[in-house]
Amino acid sequence: MKRVDVRLSIPAVAPLLDLIKSVAEELRSHLAVPIALAEADAELAAVWREDLLESQREDCDRLFSLFDQEFFSEGVISFDRDNAEAILRACAALRLRFRRTHLSTITDETLEAIEASTNIGNWDAAEQKAFACYMFLDELQKIILKYLDPMVPEEE
Amino acid sequence: MSESNDNTGAGPQEWRVVFLNDSVTRMSYAVMVLRKLFGFDEATAVQHMMEAHESGRSVVWLGVRENAEAYAFSLQQWHLCATIESDETS
Repeated sequence: MKRVDVRLSIPAVAPLLDLIKSVAEELRSHLAVPIALAEADAELAAVWREDLLESQREDCDRLFSLFDQEFFSEGVISFDRDNAEAILRACAALRLRFRRTHLSTITDETLEAIEASTNIGNWDAAEQKAFACYMFLDELQKIILKYLDPMVPEEE
Repeated sequence: MSESNDNTGAGPQEWRVVFLNDSVTRMSYAVMVLRKLFGFDEATAVQHMMEAHESGRSVVWLGVRENAEAYAFSLQQWHLCATIESDETS
């Protein structure tokens, strides 16, 4: 099975993990994307909510399983076909939650401009750290989509 | 408005799965999910993604309610915002 090993800077990534974990904790009881069904479908939405929360929790747990003892000694995390989809979803959910909570005062236009330039000098420390998490999760998604796109069949 | 090409002959009341735009999700991720869930080719998935990006929504499937619910649920599971609408709500 194809495996992608990614070497990360432990001093750069480790400080982000606590904040990402705290946001993941919020996702144990809050959906990253509110259910957009009509009011008439409230019963269906309630059923969906529990199943979606369970799925969200499993995906986040899968993401954090990357940051194990090996990561803290070697700085390496590994993606493969088994964990790629869950980690893609976990990163998507966490980014949405960061945007809705820690980065909620920043406009879409500003965020887009900052993503291009990464110039966040005038933000407060909490926003800078949240943005670093937001971009780190984006990088993980980019790597998976580049090397393990679920739509590209694995070579024999 | 674009529709899937394999479900246009459904029963008397048809339901639409509507994919809604968000400003956070990476476009390549949304395209991958649309391809995976609906079997779109790359160009069709990009077309739906761009339609949602520009107009806020894109109809990605049309057919019976039960299947529409399943598709909308799957989109939500991938954290893409989606809803279902019947002909009567248009």
